Amino acid sequence: MSAYLVSVLTEGAIFGIMALGLNVIWGWSGDFDLAYYGYIAVGAYMTLVLTIGPAVAPAQYILGLTLPYPLAVVIAVLCSMAVSLVVGSIALRHLRGIYFSIVTLGAVYVMYVLAGQYVPLFDGYNGLSGLFDPMGDWFGLDYQSYQYFLMGLCLVLFVLVFLFMWRISGSRFGMALRTLREDERAAAAFGRDIYRLKLKGYVLGAGVGGFAGALFVAYLSAFNPSAWSPVEIIVLYAAVLVGGRGNIWGVALGVFIMGLIVQESTRFLPEVPGHPQIVLALRGVIIGLVLVLFLRFRPQGLLPERRYVDAQPKLEPDARPV
Amino acid sequence: MNEALLTLGFALVTASILALSAVAFTLQYAVTNVANVSHGEILTVGAYAAYLVHQRTGSAVAAAIGAALAGGFAALAMHSAVIGPFIRFGATPTIIFIATLGMSFVIQNTLVIFFGAANVAYTLDPGAPMHLGPFLLTPLDLQIIASAIAITFVLYLIISRTKFGKALRAVSQNRELARVTGINATRVAAATFFLAGLIAGYAGFILAESVGSFNPYFGFSFFLITLTAAVAGGLGKAFGTMIGAVLVGIILEFAGGYISASYNLAFAFALLAIVILVRPRGLFTNARRTVFE
Amino acid sequence: MNAPSKTLDRPPALAVRGLTKHFGGVYAVEDCSFEAPAGQVTGLIGPNGAGKSTAIDLISGFKLPDTGTVIFKDRALEGLPPHVISRLGLIRTFQAPREWPGLTVLENVVMARWDAGREGFLRGLVGLGLTQRGTAADELVRAREILDEFGLAKLRNERAGNLSGGQKRLVEFARIRMAQPELVILDEPMGGVNPVLGERMAVAIEAFIASGTSVIVVEHNLPFIERVTQHVIVMAQGTVIAEGPFETLRSNRDVIDAYLGEVVKQ
Repeated sequence: MSAYLVSVLTEGAIFGIMALGLNVIWGWSGDFDLAYYGYIAVGAYMTLVLTIGPAVAPAQYILGLTLPYPLAVVIAVLCSMAVSLVVGSIALRHLRGIYFSIVTLGAVYVMYVLAGQYVPLFDGYNGLSGLFDPMGDWFGLDYQSYQYFLMGLCLVLFVLVFLFMWRISGSRFGMALRTLREDERAAAAFGRDIYRLKLKGYVLGAGVGGFAGALFVAYLSAFNPSAWSPVEIIVLYAAVLVGGRGNIWGVALGVFIMGLIVQESTRFLPEVPGHPQIVLALRGVIIGLVLVLFLRFRPQGLLPERRYVDAQPKLEPDARPV
Repeated sequence: MNEALLTLGFALVTASILALSAVAFTLQYAVTNVANVSHGEILTVGAYAAYLVHQRTGSAVAAAIGAALAGGFAALAMHSAVIGPFIRFGATPTIIFIATLGMSFVIQNTLVIFFGAANVAYTLDPGAPMHLGPFLLTPLDLQIIASAIAITFVLYLIISRTKFGKALRAVSQNRELARVTGINATRVAAATFFLAGLIAGYAGFILAESVGSFNPYFGFSFFLITLTAAVAGGLGKAFGTMIGAVLVGIILEFAGGYISASYNLAFAFALLAIVILVRPRGLFTNARRTVFE
Repeated sequence: MNAPSKTLDRPPALAVRGLTKHFGGVYAVEDCSFEAPAGQVTGLIGPNGAGKSTAIDLISGFKLPDTGTVIFKDRALEGLPPHVISRLGLIRTFQAPREWPGLTVLENVVMARWDAGREGFLRGLVGLGLTQRGTAADELVRAREILDEFGLAKLRNERAGNLSGGQKRLVEFARIRMAQPELVILDEPMGGVNPVLGERMAVAIEAFIASGTSVIVVEHNLPFIERVTQHVIVMAQGTVIAEGPFETLRSNRDVIDAYLGEVVKQ
């Protein structure tokens, strides 16, 4: 297996976990949350400051506790959930539609500017680095075999998150989230506490995002503001949209398709001498066009959300027509 | 005290540009009920057009006209290619919001392909700063402020005195009702986008002048501040938006001077979040509401 | 027709006292007071703009009243959020049918029943033990029965958003049967519905009463009101101007002036 394939599969699995988390918020609850990448970033940053050693001047950052990686991941996920709880409890109380989107966009910019400008937090634009092959030495892995190990780990975790989401999707909780997406007033009229229910979904999604962020830094071994421009996450929304909002199989398909576009377009588009950004820009154009065209012509995605089909028991042949 | 007044002078320049950008945004919102996220790109297109025209002709006036026209046609294209079809298709405002976000991404990256991502330096000779009462302003600053006031005045005349202005107000109040009374809402919306684009394109030109440089992303960052001003003034309300822009411009300039300029954007957004939460329909309407009201 | 409930010893299903709500300077509901007898169908009629819909919103918690009280099951409802009121057993419908359009008809009916503790997310994850599965199966059986009763069985796997206006109303009725509230407030159930369905709706409303659900119905269709109600409340300009059995209201001058006159003139 080539190193290229290993990195693609690892990234794809992490990207898939991110998309599954987003699907809870956008696919099921139906809120277009622009702060989502902020929760991924919180997971990534917190994992780094918890696992690497204390800051050595001129670098500055908080903590530096050298905790074992799995423990750091758990704490990082809790931090993502805590931040999302704060943002969600403000934004979800009264705001819906574009007002919700605008406030979450504001929230993510505040996070972004804090991470980039407030140096004592995460060392500003330099960002953090120094998480090398977490858990690798537990198993005595060298650099080469560690890549395989990480790929396997990410794929297994993706499958676990997928199963987790599959369970949620068919549960009363998953159905209740969908009633909010479909008609909030009716949901309230039939006894649903829309604010708490939405908040639960929001924090759950953010936690999954934070988890993906924690895995992402194990892969990147570093994180800084240029890794997460708030606008760049449009590709994540495109993946969920293309595959099918609300359908976890669709989300997995969307991740595969967008991954293909992102990876392969960079591979096959011509390099223009003197214009290093041109390939990235073309990719951006394609992603934006995919988003607009799907919203217009196939908003339900390639695999629309499937509904429970009731086959049993057989009905009397004289069941009255309406 | 003196320093505060100096800051206020600079704030007036920021507020003038912001007012034009925000009023253009809010006009688009008024006739379509859509928050056009790619509004910032109209400013960016305006800045590039101004730069190119200025290079060819050497005339700042030609550059201003070029910026306005480029902005007008860019906005018209946005309406006829994306926003209009989505509205006819019956998409919700949130879906169109997302589509315009995608469109913004497409335009930014297209500009990168043609012009590169690097900053383009674009400075006019600002002239010698002069003391005007307590303010210290350059002739360029004065031109910016004067042009913003003039444009506002012309816009006011268009909205209040012309047949088109009447149709615009009718469509913004009730699209369906306007249609019933024989107004072609789509055409009015297209014309409004063109008008808004003229204003936003010009705003892009003066923004580039006052900042001194621009790149494909510069309109988007300014859009975020524009959004704050427009929401503070009440989305879709042209003259509330003007006042919102002046307030936000002043607050930002003082925050930039006294806190730190690098937090400007975050500060604008914190402000926006507070405005939306406390007064979701703008600072100047007194509507209370619950989730369902 | 028997005299209204005040003579019965059963407490009213709902008591509204001095309910007031204004928007800006306009009073939508002003000092509105009435009682809806338990175990009966109460009609709420009045011209457009009489404040009927606002009154329903105030009672069900979708809007906050300025002043006034709403008593339901010996509890004051005003100030409670809609979901709490719904859980107490007071469910309302809306002028336009509010189905969950992307869910199937069967799912719409199943999800009409809110079940404490079963919608938690941990339950969703680890739950679905044997008892859970049993409850879910019972629920499904019950939902199928109800759909069959409303003639919707064939449509049970259809997305509710694809149904006709009348069918959506029937789904709404089916949802209420599933939820089994103590009181239901129907907001213009005949609005946009083929009058042919009227008799079916009337039968459904009688079935609500039979299953222990009291009914308040807001409606413009007066023959329908005459057909289904035992007690009628007439609102005009935000307040109650008359009440009693439908027949006695026919001759009431105020009612004729405020409302019925318009209808008669047509």
